Amino acid sequence: MSTAGIRLIRLLLIAALIAVWEIYGRFFANSALVAPPSHVLMVLWPKIIGDPRVLRAVGLALFELATAFALAVVVGTVLGILIGLSELGRRSFYPFVLLLYAIPQVILLPLFVLLFGIGPAGKIAFGFSHGIFPIIVNTVAGMRNVNPVLVRGTEALGASRVAVIRYVILPHMVTTLFASMRLAMTMTLLGVILAELFVSTAGIGYFTQLFAESFAPAPLFALIGTLAVMAIILNELVRLAEARFTRWKD
Amino acid sequence: MVPRDRILVASIQGAVVATLLGAWYFSTHSSRLLSLFLPPPERVWSSFQVVAASGQLWAAAKVTLLTIAQAYLIAAVGGVLVGFLVARSDRLLKLFEPLLSGLFAIPLTMFFPLFILFFGLGPESKIAYGATYAFFPIALNTIAGFSSVDRLHVRAIRSMGANAFEQFRYVYFPAALPVTITGLRIGFFICIASVLGGETLASVTGVGRSIALSAELMETARMYAWIVSVVLVTLVLNLLVYAAESRLRRES
Amino acid sequence: MAGDAPIAVVIDRVSKTYPGRSAEQRVTALEAVSLSVRKGEFVCLLGPSGCGKSTLLGIIGGMLAPSTGTVTVNGTKVTGPQPRNIAFVFQESTLLPWYTVLENFQIALKLQGIGASAWRDRAMQALSSVGMEQFVNHYPNQLSVGMKQRINVARGICLGTDILLLDEPFAALDEQTRMVLGEDLSVLLARTGKTILFVTHSLSEAVFLADRIVVMTARPGRIKASIAVPEPHPRSPDFMLAPEFGALRNELYAVLRDEIRQTVAAMRQARDAGG
Repeated sequence: MSTAGIRLIRLLLIAALIAVWEIYGRFFANSALVAPPSHVLMVLWPKIIGDPRVLRAVGLALFELATAFALAVVVGTVLGILIGLSELGRRSFYPFVLLLYAIPQVILLPLFVLLFGIGPAGKIAFGFSHGIFPIIVNTVAGMRNVNPVLVRGTEALGASRVAVIRYVILPHMVTTLFASMRLAMTMTLLGVILAELFVSTAGIGYFTQLFAESFAPAPLFALIGTLAVMAIILNELVRLAEARFTRWKD
Repeated sequence: MVPRDRILVASIQGAVVATLLGAWYFSTHSSRLLSLFLPPPERVWSSFQVVAASGQLWAAAKVTLLTIAQAYLIAAVGGVLVGFLVARSDRLLKLFEPLLSGLFAIPLTMFFPLFILFFGLGPESKIAYGATYAFFPIALNTIAGFSSVDRLHVRAIRSMGANAFEQFRYVYFPAALPVTITGLRIGFFICIASVLGGETLASVTGVGRSIALSAELMETARMYAWIVSVVLVTLVLNLLVYAAESRLRRES
Repeated sequence: MAGDAPIAVVIDRVSKTYPGRSAEQRVTALEAVSLSVRKGEFVCLLGPSGCGKSTLLGIIGGMLAPSTGTVTVNGTKVTGPQPRNIAFVFQESTLLPWYTVLENFQIALKLQGIGASAWRDRAMQALSSVGMEQFVNHYPNQLSVGMKQRINVARGICLGTDILLLDEPFAALDEQTRMVLGEDLSVLLARTGKTILFVTHSLSEAVFLADRIVVMTARPGRIKASIAVPEPHPRSPDFMLAPEFGALRNELYAVLRDEIRQTVAAMRQARDAGG
């Protein structure tokens, strides 16, 4: 079956699911728990996009995400380079990184909020601590797998140590960085969302708790749907950036 | 690695750990302000003993462990089944695999409030949430495992007259096993993390709730006791699973 | 012709020993190798695997330091890479994959100290001489192995050095591509008058390309024989059909056979001893 045919069936499948959801939501479901898509769309404007408080909460979350992500990339790259610079350094310190990576970080969430407060700082910090690990792991790996033939070849052309770093190592590391960016973005987003949901006194956590506790499924669905769409768009943006910077990769 | 290098690495690592522990001890003993946020090690230890002796430790752990077990069972059975069925047909594969992997690319955490809405604050919401989250890597890996079986091997064993069951037993199953097990491992740790996360965010019982509660009540020593316990258990689990996987891999 | 041309490369009692971690792990790759190459000569280094021919080429090019002895190129002692005198072509492509072909050439020329105004012309000229000028803006990953190696050779040529060192550059290619590229190289030599040292495994390749074939012994590598090939460059493929070609090839084989046997026996011994 052709790709276009499959895509069509997939779209029909999704449309069918939405139809089922609509019928179930309208006629069969407990209206305190499930809202049909039509209701969700109806409240989307007034309660979510049109409500400045909600919009501000979402905007703030985006700001926290951007800050946490930028910090994770910069600090992660620097740490990764430092750890990966020498074989001894890597063998000594890399296990600590892996150890920390293996802990379910969510148990540290109350601690982060305790230390950084309930404002954006705690959420940025928590997102940062999630996003930094894939960057470090990939940077260390990148430093190990520089192709030695390329280094030797460039040295044979008369390149100094600086020139080798500029023409061989740096472009290689940039490629490695972009390979890990999508995962880092997803992890940072995870951290920020966890922190936001945890702090129920303001921000996204306030509204999710409000809608859930007052059994208002339509605005809750709408809010979550908005966040999901944002996440998908962000993922696509990072993927596009990656494609542009790795054009040379056949 | 040369034995001498190994000793050097071990000494560096030992020195780092010793320095951190020493810094913890001395800084919390010298600064009152710091000990509000980071209690001295012996207070964390005594809190742990109190929590363990009072039965709170086991009560919360029991809830969490049961939740994880149920969530993982659902995710594992569901994930492997769905993965296997989807991988059997090329059409189903092209239809569903992109949907699943696309969905998994979003942090499913943002759907957590829905689980609270549907299932309430009890363990059921965490079971459902954990099962949903862990389902994806298991299903996706199972799909990958079964769809990447070398056609050459299938043809070879068919030509030897094997029936469907024998084909599965001798070719499909062993070929798909490593990738599927990787998925089960990833799903396991995702299940643990999401159950703990759910308990921390919104729960009445469980280890996650205990951590959140002790933070709320500013009982920092107790909170650290809980955190350290979970960290130690998770690390041990990681080592066990890693060892088991290596053993399985070597034998297959 | 090369017969009375000045001496371009002098290799004087060069040896290379790798100490290893203990006395048993000590490896002598080369032992007291002495060789002179005249300007415009095409010399092939031929020998069994592990005989040290690539090591020797690396020492000549300044990539490795000899344990004893010296290498002198155009009167100057070699102590490191000399991009203005020596161009080195490796067995694998060393084109940087994240730059286009043109950018790769520009970097090479820049590192050599050539001014930016000359870059494009030199690059295009070199690429045309190997027939690759239409790929000037391609990325290496878009090209086949054969095309990449041609471009690597072109890059070596565009540097305009007197001396060109090639370390089994066509080893990864199929026989037919090798023959075609070998022909191109022969034409190039005749036209530019460069001094070329070429390492190879292949007897036919050596006879077809070289003015002189230097045969090396099994490890530790020493020079066993030096065989001249009197046919003038550029050589046509018909040369391969000539009786002199076959005779030279047989002579080479006779010289090499014992060395190859010895290498295989040593490998077997190492395998049985410790594995």
